[in-house]
Amino acid sequence: MEVGDIVRQLAPEDAPNEVVTAIEHFPAREAEWAPMPAWVRPELVDAYRGRGITELFSHQAEAVERIHRGENVVVVTPTASGKTLCYNLPVLNAILDNPDTRALYLFPTKALAQDQLVELQDLGGRLGDAFGVFTYDGDTPADARRAIRQRGHIVLTNPDMLHAGILPHHTKWTRLFENLEYIVIDELHTYRGVFGSHLANVLRRLRRITRFYGRDPRFIFSSATIANPGELAARLVEGDVEIVDRNGAPSGEKVFLFYNPPMVNRFLGIRRSCINETWRIARVFVHHGLQTMVFANSRLHAEVLLTYLKRDNPQPPGEPEIVRGYRGGYLPTERREIERGLREGRIRAVVSTNALELGIDVGSLDVVVMAGYPGTIASTWQRAGRSGRRKGGACAVLVASSRPLDQFIVRHPEYFFSGSPEHAYIQPDNLEILVNHLKCAAFELPLSSGESFGEADLELLCERLAESGYLHPNGGFWYWTQESYPADAISLRSVTSDNFVIVDETGPPKIIGEVDFTSALSTVHPKAIYLHGARQYHVERMDFAERKAYVKQVDADYFTQAIVYTEVERLAADESAPVEGPAEKTHGDVRIRSQVVGFKKIKFYTLENVGSGNLELPENEMHTTAYWITLRRALIDTLPFSVSERQDGLFGLLYALESVACLLMMCDRVDLGSTIGEGAPDIAGPTRSAEGDPQAGEWFEPALYLFDNYPGGIGQSEPLYRLHDLLLRRTLELISGCGCDQGCPSCVGPAGETGEHAKAVALAILERLIGEHAGEARRQP
Amino acid sequence: MTSMVDALSHVAALRPKSGARTGLRPDGVSHAREELVSLLGGREERNDRGNHFQVRRRFAGPAPEPLTPRAWNLVFPGVAPLPCDPAGWLFLDTETTGLSGGTGTCAFLVGVGWWEGDGFTVEQYFMRDYGEEPSLLEALAERLDAHRVLVTYNGKSFDWPLLETRFRMARFGAVPQPSVHLDLLYPARRLWRWSLESVALAEVERHVLGFDRGGDIPSASIPGRYFDFIRGGAAAPIAEVFRHNQMDLRGLAVLALRLDRILGDPEHSGCAGGELLGIARMLQKSGEGARARRLFRKSLEEGLPPGGRLCAERELALMAKRERDFTVSNRLWERLLSGSPEGLEAYEQLAMYHEHRARHPEKALDLVREALGRLQDRFRSGAMTEDRYRRWHARLCRRRERLERKCLP
Repeated sequence: MEVGDIVRQLAPEDAPNEVVTAIEHFPAREAEWAPMPAWVRPELVDAYRGRGITELFSHQAEAVERIHRGENVVVVTPTASGKTLCYNLPVLNAILDNPDTRALYLFPTKALAQDQLVELQDLGGRLGDAFGVFTYDGDTPADARRAIRQRGHIVLTNPDMLHAGILPHHTKWTRLFENLEYIVIDELHTYRGVFGSHLANVLRRLRRITRFYGRDPRFIFSSATIANPGELAARLVEGDVEIVDRNGAPSGEKVFLFYNPPMVNRFLGIRRSCINETWRIARVFVHHGLQTMVFANSRLHAEVLLTYLKRDNPQPPGEPEIVRGYRGGYLPTERREIERGLREGRIRAVVSTNALELGIDVGSLDVVVMAGYPGTIASTWQRAGRSGRRKGGACAVLVASSRPLDQFIVRHPEYFFSGSPEHAYIQPDNLEILVNHLKCAAFELPLSSGESFGEADLELLCERLAESGYLHPNGGFWYWTQESYPADAISLRSVTSDNFVIVDETGPPKIIGEVDFTSALSTVHPKAIYLHGARQYHVERMDFAERKAYVKQVDADYFTQAIVYTEVERLAADESAPVEGPAEKTHGDVRIRSQVVGFKKIKFYTLENVGSGNLELPENEMHTTAYWITLRRALIDTLPFSVSERQDGLFGLLYALESVACLLMMCDRVDLGSTIGEGAPDIAGPTRSAEGDPQAGEWFEPALYLFDNYPGGIGQSEPLYRLHDLLLRRTLELISGCGCDQGCPSCVGPAGETGEHAKAVALAILERLIGEHAGEARRQP
Repeated sequence: MTSMVDALSHVAALRPKSGARTGLRPDGVSHAREELVSLLGGREERNDRGNHFQVRRRFAGPAPEPLTPRAWNLVFPGVAPLPCDPAGWLFLDTETTGLSGGTGTCAFLVGVGWWEGDGFTVEQYFMRDYGEEPSLLEALAERLDAHRVLVTYNGKSFDWPLLETRFRMARFGAVPQPSVHLDLLYPARRLWRWSLESVALAEVERHVLGFDRGGDIPSASIPGRYFDFIRGGAAAPIAEVFRHNQMDLRGLAVLALRLDRILGDPEHSGCAGGELLGIARMLQKSGEGARARRLFRKSLEEGLPPGGRLCAERELALMAKRERDFTVSNRLWERLLSGSPEGLEAYEQLAMYHEHRARHPEKALDLVREALGRLQDRFRSGAMTEDRYRRWHARLCRRRERLERKCLP
């Protein structure tokens, strides 16, 4: 049976076009070939011939030529287009030309580095072991490290290890740094937001160290398709980078389907659950013997889907499971085993978070089913690329959730299929991030008064760090004066490096996983149900001092979701301008306090709310940057709605604005926060709000905030300020294009929670904010 | 972000850590330097790389004694020939700005000591501020040139790699290399691990060498004392670090002489059981089986803690087995039977004997089954890690399966 037929079968007959909103066929594509360049050494030509490669795809030829000429390059082509050859070939050629040459490869995950190791070792075998290639990460045994430092021509590592394990010990890596010619950074598009801003600073440190050893290495990037790969790469290296993006690789035939779960209540705009529909679709594919990969957008959803699919495919005790989960919290050995199982076909279905989105080699799968829009066009293509690879007959299915972003995408397929992908933003000069890396830099090599580090006023920052006891000036240099090792306290991936360890106390205590501090508050708070490996655990208690959560295995029919309160205080406006409405748009600094105050219990399968509880957890405070719209009293007063209806409408509008902002900013939803506060200057003070729970009193002049969910901000506020008009127009398109009557989870939030007239109020406010052009926006499909 | 200065007050990364000492007293710096001279003697030294502060003191003890080559060959069998001229030895100990290693940790005080005439000379190189490090390193390099045998305590993994890093950071073309580096932590651990909870130098001094340091400073306070000093704090706290360093160096020299004596003639040095056990294992490694066996026996006679007893009996049993003296080895294995790793090995060894030598697979199978029971008890009692349990379990199960096949009628 054709994959497309299977999906159509799943759609109810009464309204097929409303359920399957798009079926895009991608015909097979012919390869564009180019000859192997003449400068490639004969033994390397032979080695590649041994792997079946005698010619290059046109983009590979262009990339290797540019790298050979000494340019910094970013290669932007889809999954499975032979990106690794673009850097391996010129790097290996340089090593064969001069065996002293060294290269450092950075991958965003350990698993990707492992994958590359296998490929490079194979090439090494064909070249008579002419070069040493090693992974260097947290799993590398201590006794192997010395050999790697000496003999590793190519060292495969990750930014975290470079940051905490290599740069602070650069004198042990003299051989590498004195001969470092190439730095390869794979999966460039993953370095956006906080992670990317950290990486930019790690690379500043790396360049300081290479200068110390008299080197000026070239940078080679590879990236999935995003709108600004060249700009992102150039910001990371603070220099010029050439773009290679004309794909010459062939591809097999593929079908891409958008599936919008059927309406169950048209009036309330309620659709069938995305999770349940994904499950239904995936089980049919699995049932027809097609190897299937299911992507979920959160760990929680991945665990729920895994539970369902495992129950469908029970294995006799002792037999290996054919349905497996895969995500960050799993142990490395377990992950390797799953990857192998997928390649060998023993595992028939895998449920993953974004962990498998990147180029880990699990072979070609038949079908990819995505439970919800991954948040960006770039990662959607990455995930879809997991099916099919180069040979024919593959399928990708995007199952929309009721989130506004998902609904926007499935109802505007042209936005996805022909639209330009998103921009990746970073803010390397975020002071919080920059200062932390400045500490690391001082530890690595005393800071000279004359040098520069990003846009920072180095002298001023060093003085402040000296006052706080971190640095000490002497003879034109700033020296590190702390016993501690600064890199240890700085995590590249989250606000703090304080991870909570999950201890299972069902039997003898054992550690089953860990979560970072911020998510810990909302996932392993007391009385939460923590899901791991499709098992449910009840959180018995949380030890803040020890950073541990103690859990016991239970068999509950529900899971939990945390309720978070957010409070905002304005500190300073950087830019402000009056806009239609009357209203005002602003970007600047704010202080955000948030607190997990309770949780809801949600039943499996039906997803109904079956209870709740209160919690007293510590408050999180941060200073960050925000973009906000202040609605003047004149606007509020002329809205033909009651006070409480207006309140509902504001929350509904905020809900939609945040979704569209994520779409425009290519950010993970966790990187952007939103809240409402009092905007009138005389009354403005800290104000609290919680989504779906408007307080009694009305704001005099409400301000809708979209803020960077990271201390110091990560550069999203100013672009949002500039995109104000587009943001409002797209939000109007979203709400007015929604088929529901009074608001639904897909536009302004569920009517039951947001209030009856939320949709109408939100639309009225938007029309006032957009003014005379509102009509045009509304007429858009 | 708003104006820079304004923004800085919100940056958490700029805030002092709780308990951090801050604040510079510029007037204090020159005063503290003078004070240091009056407290310690010493003077400013100059060389091609700048200047630093240096203290030199002669002590009457420990006085040099002739060194015994066979003692040191025993401890460091790979190093040959071992120079045993006491004049060539250089004891070294550093005081650092932290223990974490990495390029941001400095040795602000490097002390070296050597035997000269009939006494012990200590020289200490000190950077009064970070800029004096190159000069300090230059002085150390010159001293290392004159004495080619480096003697440290835990210097192989801490002091020396740290100094190598410092030389590289200061762009010394060739990092000085001693011809031999003897780290006395290794023999100390072998000899005293059975009797001491910690083999930190001060503990070994107190319990083995029999002297108490009296009012020594806690090591953890050392980096803070230095950071205070460079910011203009008083000199007295850092002067105490100099004295601490002198004590370390002299203690190290006393320890070297003690090791020389007991390793040179363990049979007649009044050694305790644990010491004899440690020496016996070294002898065994260097191929002196007969002497090793005598010392293993003697160590058992002198008395050993339970862990030491297991170790000595196991070694004796393995030696007997190698010599095919199964009466002796079996007797020892039977005494060792238990759920501990040595005990499980004893079960295994006896099972091997009964399977392959005595050809009694049934007896061997009984032993393996009993071992599995003891293993499970041990794991349940919490005395064994899961990892270790799994390995033993797999190993014993393989043997059990094979024996069960053999025992089939």
